Parts: sequence; C-alpha cells; structure tokens
Amino acid sequence: MNTMIKIARYHLTQPVMFPGLPWATLAFAFAVNVARGGDNFRDGVVVIFTMFFIAGVQRIGRWLPFSLALGATRRSFYAGTALLGVSMSLVSGLVIAGLQAIERATGGWGLSITFFRVPYLLNGPWYATWLTSFVGLSALFVYGMWYGAVYRRWGAPGVLAFIAFQVLVTLAVALPEPGRVWSFLYSWSYVGEHLASLSALDLTGVAAALAVVFLVGGHATIRRAAV
Amino acid sequence: MTPVISVTGLTRRYRDQVALDDVSVTIGAGSITGLLGRNGAGKTTLLRILAGQEFPSSGSVRIFGLPPAENESVLRRLVLVREDQTYPDINVRHALRAASWFHPNWDSALASSLLDDFGVRANKAVKNLSRGQRSALGITIGLAARAAVTLFDEPYAGLDAVARQIFYDRLLADYADFPRTVLLSTHLIDEAAALFENVVVIDRGRVVLDTAADGLRGMVTTVSGPVLAVDSFTEGRPVWERRTLGSQASVVTVGQVSCEDRERARSLGLDLTPLSLQQLVVRASGWSAGAGYLATRTSA
Repeated sequence: MNTMIKIARYHLTQPVMFPGLPWATLAFAFAVNVARGGDNFRDGVVVIFTMFFIAGVQRIGRWLPFSLALGATRRSFYAGTALLGVSMSLVSGLVIAGLQAIERATGGWGLSITFFRVPYLLNGPWYATWLTSFVGLSALFVYGMWYGAVYRRWGAPGVLAFIAFQVLVTLAVALPEPGRVWSFLYSWSYVGEHLASLSALDLTGVAAALAVVFLVGGHATIRRAAV
Repeated sequence: MTPVISVTGLTRRYRDQVALDDVSVTIGAGSITGLLGRNGAGKTTLLRILAGQEFPSSGSVRIFGLPPAENESVLRRLVLVREDQTYPDINVRHALRAASWFHPNWDSALASSLLDDFGVRANKAVKNLSRGQRSALGITIGLAARAAVTLFDEPYAGLDAVARQIFYDRLLADYADFPRTVLLSTHLIDEAAALFENVVVIDRGRVVLDTAADGLRGMVTTVSGPVLAVDSFTEGRPVWERRTLGSQASVVTVGQVSCEDRERARSLGLDLTPLSLQQLVVRASGWSAGAGYLATRTSA
C-alpha cells in the first residue's frame, strides 16, 4: 500500500473529528436556523469552509509527530494529508450541491431559508456549486495545513510572524499609493470593483491557484520540521 | 561486519547550547546497546536524529548505509519509541492498527498479548491513559513492530517494577527469536545492565565511553581496608578515586583483578567490590578523562 494512502487511512481512523466535526457544526447551524423558524442565518453553509481550515491546521499540527514515529516521511505525510482534505472536499462539495438543489426545490425547506445558497458565489447550477465548493474547501484545508506546518516548525511565534507577513503582503498588493498606509482604507472600493468584474467561476480559478501556492508553501515549511 | 548504524562527526547545535558534539558511534547488526548518560546529555537528540525526526547541524548519519532523514526505505525498517511521544486524538486500537500498516513485520498477536500483560484496554483513548499505560503502548508498538532497528528512548517512564520486568523479559524473548539491532536509553542502569551487549555513555553531548559490556564487568573495583594495605595493593594501578576515613581507605581502581591479586587482597585483609555499571556510568559522566582511559583499556 502506498504510504500516501496509508496516511489518509490513518487520518480516517478518527472520522468523528474530520470530516465529522465540520458537518456536525453545519448541521447544528442549520438546525438552529430551522428551529427559529426562519431565515435569520443566511448563507450558513460558509461555516463548513471555516471548519475545513481548522481541520487542516489540526491534521498537520497534531498528527505529524506520531506519523513520523510510525516511519512516514514528512513528504508522504504531507501528501497523504492533502489527499484526505481534497477527497473530503470533493465529496462534501457534492453533498452541498445536493442540499442546495433540495433547498431550491422545496422553496427553502418550506421556510424560505437560504442556507445552502450564497448569492453570487454558490448560486449557479449544481455542477458549478460542486466545483466552487470543492475548490474552496480544498483551498481552505491546505491553507490550514500551511498554518499547521508553520506551527510545527517554529511554534506560536512562527504563526504570529506568518500572519504578520501575510498582512504586509496584502497591504503591499492592495495599497494604491505605496508608502501611505491609510490609502489602504480607501482602496477597498477599488478592490471591490475589481472583484465584481470577476464571475464566480473566475474566483474559483483564483482559489485553485491560491491552493497550489498554499500547498507548495506548506511543503517547503514542513520539509525541515523537527518533532 | 558492516555496521547497521554509523554516526560520524555528528554535531547538533541549538541556539545557546551544543546538544551533540562531534559524536561518532558504530553499532553492528543483532545487538542490544545501552545508551546511557545524564538528563540533557544528548541521548534523545541522538535517537531523534537516527530516526529522521531531527536534523544534524553537521556530520553524517547512516543506517544500512543510507541517510535516514526522509528516506522511506530506511524508516520502514526502523522504530523509535519515545518517552515524550505525542499522539493525536485516537484510541489504543487505532494507534496499533496504524502501526501495523507501517511496519512490514508487525505481529498483531504479540501486540495484543503485550497489551494484556500491561493491562491496557484497547478501546481507551490515548489521551486518557496514565503515564505508565502510555509507556506500555509505546513499548507494545516498539516490540510488535519487529523493526530491524529498534530505538527505545526511556521507554518505561511511570511503569512499575513488575511492568518493567515484563518489558525486559519480552524484549529478550522476542529478540532471541527475531534478532535485531536495539538501542535502549535508560536511567535505570543496573536494572537493565544484564540486557546490554554494548554500552555507549554520553556526557554533555560527547561520547565518553563506547565499549562491550563484557569488557566492563570486573574492570573497575573498589578496594577498601586499612590505609597502608590499600595503598600497598593499589600501587602501580590507575586510581579513579581515593577516600580515607581515619585509618580506613577506599580506592576505586581500574584494571582486571587476577587470582593472585585476590589472594593477596585476602591476606592483606582487603575487601574487593566490583563497580556496578551504574556506578561506572556515574563516574564516567563525572570524569571524562577517566572514561577515556577505560575505553582504551577495554577495547584493547
């Protein structure tokens, strides 16, 4: 058996935490929404995206030491964990698309709820919803994996530095007037206009490209992580 | 004999300390070696580097002639059981099942009989195990893996004397049936001394003693009795330590004691007590020059 597959199976010895917990959280949010009898938690499906990010952090941060003790290399552990995240994203994306179809067909579960529909992003045909949520979930999972790798390699100070670095990069990219920090505040309308010109599928493409960047960055980080 | 483990000029520096300082050790196939030394001497760092969990600052490490780091062909023939192993949120059964996938020689029957011996329930979450039970889980994985290179780092923290004896017995029994290269670091030196064929002592990141355990037995002796008799007996012998109390003296001397020596000691009214391995390591760690002398004498 390929080591990458073994790692994915090893993660699945504990399915309660993943993919269980993200789906349980989503189900809970949905149940609360229905219990309150109306549409007071719009676009609730985004909850599962956050949970995939957290799962990515934990799968690297908490599962690396024992994986190395089992004789896996960092490379195969990383690849196997990514395989787990991507395959669960594929399945979860399909389930989201299915639930969205039901939501539409039943007039929002008979209560006019828009839980599995997000205007503009997740509001197209079922295959577009599947593709966008698959890519979105995968990207957030591997983004979380990168955080987990940073934590394993440099600890909490490393994570803070990593966040600070990303804030600086975002500022540098988004600053219309270099050197003037406050111009960042005025630039959101500019960024917003740009985003608005992109279709949901364009954004999915951007997310896919980012996922590749996260994967490469995380791998470079974990390569020299000691346990 | 080609060495299974060969370490040359290995140095590992951390920000303000040197954990390993120019360490060179070779360990042959089919042997049990004791890795001894004080807390913080560098034992764990050495074992982590051997298992590819940590990286050297300089020097080379070869296992089966290959560098272990990120090398699956080495790592699947190796197991490291650590005192401070962290586990994800899984239960004992899952941990063992995962281990069985990764170790080609895994013996499930051995694993479950070890769990029984140690009284660890398979459906318990690892995070709810006591310290001793956690050690028992590590030992179970380390033995049932039957890995060609088996590394134990203080494997029995929190285990009671009975459980430790189970570990020694099971290790020896399984080793006899499936010989492998075992490196065991421990503080309980005298308790484990009978297991060791070789002994490596590390102190402050340096190897101060690396020798066959047989050569050490009877190599260092405490001579005690009246001062004049002791001095006459130890004249011309290398002396590690000398203590006097009134007219009595106690001297630690290095070198084999022959039958004539024993006869002479008896006639002088002297007591000869061989130093245990533990006492030896205590002295070797405290006095590196003496250990160096011992190493040259025993390897000759």
